Amino acid sequence: MVHPGLSAGWVLVVLVSMILLSVWLMRSVPVATRSVNLPVISIFNLPFVGKIIQRIISRPAVITMLRIFAAATFLLVIAAGLFGTQVAERNIATTLTWTLWWSGVVISVFFVGSAWCAICPWDAIATWLVRRRLWKKGSAISSFNIRVPKVIRNIWPALIMFVVLTWLELGYGVTTSPYATALLALLIVVLATISLAVYERKAFCRYFCAVGRTLGAYGGIAPIALRPIDNAVCANCKTLECYNGSNDIEPCPTHLVMGSLKQNTYCTSCGACTQSCPYQNINWQIRNIGDEITYSARPHWDESWFILGLLSLTMFHGFTMMPYWEDWMRQLAYMIGDSGRILTSFSIGMAVAMFIPVLLYSACITWLQYITGKQENWRRIFSAMALSILPLAFAYHIAHNLSHLVRESQGFISVVFNPFGTNTLPLSTHEIHMRHLNPVVDNNIVFALQAILILFGFWMALKILRYRLPQISTSGKPESRLAFMPMLVFISLMSIINLWLLMQPMIMRM
Amino acid sequence: MNINTILVMTSLLFVTFNSFAHHVLGRPSYSLGEDSNTPPSMQVETQIGEYYVTYMAFPAFPKPGDSGRVNLYASRIDNGLPFNGKVRFKVRDDSFFSSKEEILGVQNIDDGVYRQGFVFKDAGDYIVTAEFESNGEPYVIDFPLRIGEPFPIGPIGLTIFVISLLLLFVNITQRKRLAHVKASQHHQKDSNEQSAGYKP
Repeated sequence: MVHPGLSAGWVLVVLVSMILLSVWLMRSVPVATRSVNLPVISIFNLPFVGKIIQRIISRPAVITMLRIFAAATFLLVIAAGLFGTQVAERNIATTLTWTLWWSGVVISVFFVGSAWCAICPWDAIATWLVRRRLWKKGSAISSFNIRVPKVIRNIWPALIMFVVLTWLELGYGVTTSPYATALLALLIVVLATISLAVYERKAFCRYFCAVGRTLGAYGGIAPIALRPIDNAVCANCKTLECYNGSNDIEPCPTHLVMGSLKQNTYCTSCGACTQSCPYQNINWQIRNIGDEITYSARPHWDESWFILGLLSLTMFHGFTMMPYWEDWMRQLAYMIGDSGRILTSFSIGMAVAMFIPVLLYSACITWLQYITGKQENWRRIFSAMALSILPLAFAYHIAHNLSHLVRESQGFISVVFNPFGTNTLPLSTHEIHMRHLNPVVDNNIVFALQAILILFGFWMALKILRYRLPQISTSGKPESRLAFMPMLVFISLMSIINLWLLMQPMIMRM
Repeated sequence: MNINTILVMTSLLFVTFNSFAHHVLGRPSYSLGEDSNTPPSMQVETQIGEYYVTYMAFPAFPKPGDSGRVNLYASRIDNGLPFNGKVRFKVRDDSFFSSKEEILGVQNIDDGVYRQGFVFKDAGDYIVTAEFESNGEPYVIDFPLRIGEPFPIGPIGLTIFVISLLLLFVNITQRKRLAHVKASQHHQKDSNEQSAGYKP
């Protein structure tokens, strides 16, 4: 079913706002440094609900109950995928996984950060199998506890896994096959279990999991994070229970020390630190959206590539849903003599689509390096400026997923009552049209949210650029306002492409 | 995979029209007309050059031994006239390791439709291909077809086997290592005691 794209009125509003913001950036005085004393509110100090949340979070049983629920749902997904109907829209495996979860989990970052990781069923099942404990600390001999080899002690494996997942999703069509969805779910459980049984702590979460690293990267923008209440307490702490664990509680699964934590990238929100801290000094804090990525996050080479990968792949999602895409693929398949599922043509198209943003970004970084008099290391500029494109990926990702969530989630209730789709038939033309005519949320609201998101991404990108650009200069300020141009061009170009993608009529899965 | 047991069921008429050669992205959708009592079909609709092409398989989920049918409709975009020619239907395994291909049949148009019957003896994933030529241009359309239910026990069994084997290996190795460490410590302790007791 083809759904309409963003209306021209909203596009005009966004474009005019983008021009005004660009003028503001070029005229404003660059921010060289800023004391990082960012305003935060401790959730536990919130009236009425604060204490309740504290009790819930500091008890392992509550998190365990949520994990059991998530794992049970996950097992239902696998069973339905393997034994249920293969009509995608009637089976809970495909509807829950691809329509609700995959679309919703990115949106959830905006409200609860990387909280999904805390109840992730892949990790929960792997942990129960290897550690043989529902909660509390597992047996020391249940894993080899080998240190992850240095060559993969980064998030390149997660980026590769994200590319593979996207290929399976859009190329192989795993989203339209309950059986393939179940196989993929099982495969990831096996990978998580192997990783936990071989490597120390939770190497899968930290280095390999594409979903976790995506949520972690976007977590830098999220308004909520686990942080120390009083930094002085952490500074004087000699035992570091958050890092080492306690008698009952596991150590931080991703090797984080809360006292020196500056960014959310690797936090899985598991809450082990809140439970193990003898001073009860760790809690959830509400902060300004984007403050972490703007001021305190440290640029890293592998993380910058992951961010670039996120931008490319989210835009690629949009491209593949346009009516033009299939026509291009057919033409390419004809040119190279590809047939069948034309996976070779798809792979080439995907590689090209991923390569173009990387090429453009690299060109802009080279231009920026030239403007700054070639005093700065190209790699350092590349890493630092990537932080400014994260909001673009985040905003488009949410805007795109909003379409899926609103337009494809209809009829989910009937799937909940019949998860295996027993004795169901494919959607009739009448049902498809009725769903199209009666969306869960009015199209105009979706358009408004999408326009606001793209504008938010653009504004946040400029805000980060304004703070980060002076930092790459040894003098602490850019040589001229011209230094803003390369990244401003890139950010504007990507935002306009994202806007254009949202304007296009999109072929949805149902 | 053996596809020798494919039976050709239908045959028909033809004439000619111009078109481009293209491929169809193999992403099926399942549908059921609200005013139709036919079994659910799997179909691909696409625009190919100057034609709209619809490719349908009945039933949507054929089982080994079931009679099935593929229908191909091709009509010009500009005036809606149906393509009129000969269409060759072929089938092959949808697998990386097999390139075996068989001709299902060559069909002529019948009431605007090219119909090709089939019976598959073995379950599996197949690609059905429709080919025709017009103005010297080869025209190839591929269509994925699943015969029978995918085997559900295999993946679960494999997962349980891999995980069990891994956990068993890790546990045995770790226990042996622990026992070895304990034995070494014990041996070390005995040696130390003997050294302490030895007075030359």
